[in-house]
Formats: sequence, C-alpha cells, structure tokens
Amino acid sequence: MSHRFSVEITKQLPEFTLDVAWSAGDGVAVLFGPSGAGKTLTLQCLAGLIRPDAGRIVVDDRVLFDSAAGVDLPPQQRRVGYVFQGYALFPHLTVGQNVAFGLRDRPRAERLSRAAEVMERLGLGGLTHRRTGELSGGQRQRVALGRALAIDPALLLLDEPLSALDAPLRRSLRDELRTILSGWGTAAVLVTHDFTEAYQIADRIVIYESGRVIQSAPRAELLWQPASEAVARIMGLRNVLHGTVVKAMPDRIQISWRGLMLEAVNSPTRSYMPPPESPIAFFIRPEYVRLIRKDRGAPDAAHHMNLMRGRIVGESDFGMVWSLRLRLDAPGAPAQGDFDLEVEVPRLVYEILEIERDRHWEFSIHRGSIHVLPT
Amino acid sequence: MSADALVALGLSIRVAFFATLLNALLGIPLAYILARRAFRGRALVDLLVTLPLVLPPTVTGYYLIVLLGRRGWLGAPVYAWTGWSVAFTWYAAVIAATVMALPLLVRTARAAIESVDRELEKAAYTLGRSEWRTALEVTLPLAKNGIIAGLVLAFARALGEFGATLMLAGNIPGKTATVPLAIYTAVQTGEMGEAVVLVLTLTILSCIVLMVAGRLGARAA
Repeated sequence: MSHRFSVEITKQLPEFTLDVAWSAGDGVAVLFGPSGAGKTLTLQCLAGLIRPDAGRIVVDDRVLFDSAAGVDLPPQQRRVGYVFQGYALFPHLTVGQNVAFGLRDRPRAERLSRAAEVMERLGLGGLTHRRTGELSGGQRQRVALGRALAIDPALLLLDEPLSALDAPLRRSLRDELRTILSGWGTAAVLVTHDFTEAYQIADRIVIYESGRVIQSAPRAELLWQPASEAVARIMGLRNVLHGTVVKAMPDRIQISWRGLMLEAVNSPTRSYMPPPESPIAFFIRPEYVRLIRKDRGAPDAAHHMNLMRGRIVGESDFGMVWSLRLRLDAPGAPAQGDFDLEVEVPRLVYEILEIERDRHWEFSIHRGSIHVLPT
Repeated sequence: MSADALVALGLSIRVAFFATLLNALLGIPLAYILARRAFRGRALVDLLVTLPLVLPPTVTGYYLIVLLGRRGWLGAPVYAWTGWSVAFTWYAAVIAATVMALPLLVRTARAAIESVDRELEKAAYTLGRSEWRTALEVTLPLAKNGIIAGLVLAFARALGEFGATLMLAGNIPGKTATVPLAIYTAVQTGEMGEAVVLVLTLTILSCIVLMVAGRLGARAA
C-alpha cells in the first residue's frame, strides 16, 4: 500500500512560533535541523499530544486535524506510533507487556500472537518476560519500536531514536533501523540533528530552522542542491562563500570572488539567473578542491579551471584526512577569518607531497564542484 | 491494660483505619488532579488541603464545627431533616482525623505522581489508553510506593489526632475518646498508670508505622 501524508500547522508558544507545511510519502521522512527548531513539537502535533493553533494534518486520506473543519482526533484515535527519545518504556511491565500494551482492545489470543510476531521480527523473542530495566540500549530501542509497530500504525514517529546510544552502537543501529523501517513498510517521520544520520536513514529530508521549513527534498537532491545558504549552513557545509555575479547563463555562471573569476555550473534543472553585479552565495566541498602537483609540469587552463594560488596558514589532522586552511595570494581580507578556503587531502597525499614542509601551492576547482546557492 | 484502655485503643485503630480509607478515596484522586491537571482554583484547593498541616488542630476543629455542627452550614439542614448530627459521634472522630491526615497523603502522593515521567503517559495515550486508564495502569502503579508511604503517614497522623477530634467529636469514653483523648483524661484525673500504658502503646504503634513508611519511602526514591 502506498502512503501519503501532509502536515500544515502553526503553533504559537511564548517564545517560539512553529509555522510549517510539508508532505511526504512512502519511506522515511527525516526532520533535520538544530535543537529548538520545532522538530519534536511537530511530532507531538502529529501524534495529537499538542494541539496546533491552526492547520491541517492528513494521513492516507484520514484527517487527523483540521482547525477549519473543527477536527482534532485525540492521540488514542490517531493510530500514530511514537518512539520517544528516551523510549518511554513502562518500567513496571515486562518486555512482552510493553509490546502488547497497545493491543488491549483485541481478544487475548490475538493480542498474544501479534505481540509474539512483532517480537520475533525484531529479534526480541527470548526477552518476553524480562523487565525493561535489564535490557541493553539497542534492545530498549527495539522494544520501543515494537510497541509502536504492534498497533500497525498509519504513521510511525521517531524522536531522536539513536541519541540515547553510544556512538559505535549508534552507527551500526542506523542501518538496522533503516532495514526495519523499510521492511515494515510503514511511513515514518524521524527527528535528528545529526546530518549523517539524517542522510543515511532518510528518503526525504525536511530541514527545520527556527520553526520554519527551509527545504524539503529527496536526500540526494538536498546533498547536491541545497536550496539556500541557510540550508547549507544547517547541513554543516564548509566553504560557504560570497561573491558577485559577473554573468549568469543557463548552463554556467561566472562569479567574481577575492579578485578571481570563478566559473560554476548552473543547475540544469533549476537554472538560477541573477543579474550581473548581484551578490551570490556558493559553496565548495573541501574534498573537491584539487591540489596541483609540482612534479607534473605547469598546469594548463584546459584541465585546471578555476586556478588559484595560496599559502597554507593552518591545518588539522583528522587521522586519514588532513584539513588545510588556505589563504589566497590576493589582496584584501580573507573570506573566512584568517583563511579563504578549507581543503581536504588524504593523509597519503599529504605525506607524498610533503605538505608539512612545503606550504605554498596551486589549487584548482572543477566548475561542477562550485555549487551556487540561490537566495 | 484496663478494659477502658483497650476500648480506647480499639476505637483509635478503627477511627484511624476508616480515616485512612477515606484518605485513599479522596486523597489519591486529589493528588493526581493537583499533580497533572491545570485548572482554575488549583492553588486554592492546594491551600485548603494543606492548611490543617499548619493551623492549630483546634482551629481546624472549629471550622469543622462551623461546617458540620448541629447549627453548621451543612450540619443544620441535615439535623433539620433527620434529627441526627454527626457531631459527638465516632464518625466525627473519623472526619476530624481524615481532614488532619489528608495533607500528609496528598503532599506525599502528589510528589510521587509528579515524579512519574510524563512521556510514559503520552506513550500510553498514543497506544490507545484514555487518561483514566493511563492513570490506573501507568501513573498510579509507578507512584505506588510514594502513595503507600503517604497512606502510612496518614494512618499515623489519624492515630495521634487530638485537637480537631476533641472539638468535633468530644471526649466521650467508649464512643469518641480515642487513645490521645483517653491519655488526656487519665492525666487530668490523676490515673498516671493508665496514662503511661496508653502513652507507651501509642508510641510503639507510631514507631512501627513510621518505620514502615520510611522503608517504603526509601524504595520509592
């Protein structure tokens, strides 16, 4: 069965206003953004635990909330599963009783078989009679999932389901969670403030900032085409820079930046045509800046577009990768404090080229690696 | 122990038992509502319930007479219709003990209920439970130790009630003279042997009750 749901709500709190509208279909929609952006508040509105001031929430053609029509289903009638951040397992009940908690209205035999089936699928089979306090973090998460999934929810909500776990476990459980969610076929909304986690689990990512949605897109689109500088910053993209438009064409765009003329690819599907002289934001991924080897002859313009020269003024060792802070040989203030560009090179390259000793380099950036951010 | 002392002890335990029962019936819902519901007049309800804790018991007893006495706001119409008044019956002793013990139960139970994670209740709502069923299946079971500790304290308080009982129920031997009142009478009439027996009995009983409450409190925390 194919799922479709839409959220359109406003909620005024003393120091905060939530005003969001987005929709999603099958798979996992991840609400991503900084803490306090309204992600959890949205989940609580979806579950009926908080009443929005106005708006409409529709899940698979079922209206859960519609302020204009006076519809506001209580949480008990929404059939929306909720996995809380701390899992909220009932400590006075066993694992089996927790999983079966939402099945009270069903006949006893059916209740037991459904709970057993859910626990079997989640690998909780042997834990039926355990108290929740005796479980590991990963098991607690699966019990919370099982309890929410047992009621066969129309929509499953997960509030930072991995944040209560240690980092190594968290990484391995991301894949597990994604497998479970896709295996179950339930439409899900997951909240996180970790972009890697968001990207790994999501089909669609909805970006929240200060109570608003600033982009909602399939994850791949988001990765390569953030809709604005605000989105780029929230995603934690580095080298978000500001220049001036020289000339915009449907297929490429020329930008003046730090006395250089940069050429960037314009989006073929979403051409951005700002007038000359207007300010423009763009970003360059540090791992896509190419260091030009000095032992391979002089660089030629055909293979090395967007050529620039600079000095390394700072560096950080991330183990397998070195992050270099490059200051261009150009007059004027550097773009990012005391440097212009952050560049990442693999450790091997760092060692072979003896970057530790040799600090002056030429760099080049392919025009496809300069991403224009519409304003 | 004299026959009179045994009668006083039996009466005390009966009064304390029914006062504790009334406390459970009134106090647990009240504690839940104060802990979980925001409503107008909550501060006033809280104040009224707590007041007997700080007022002299005689003052509380006086208000009870004003309310329930033969010429009281509630007592007068009841007397007019039935010719019966609760004043100076052992029921009056139960009422006085209930009112005096209520703040102890409500405050203890309320704190225990407030310490239950609200997310557990929200989880129960999303799993189809009404607020009423959630209170019965989640909140109160998890606040159980605190509530029981509150009931034990209420029992102890009811057992030792003197001032308000004297005001509303009087000091009628065999009828409303509970152990504390019997001790007072014994001392007044110079029967020190009787007084000592009753004093020791009440002390030991209260110690046992407090030890039980302490155990439960420690387990609740």
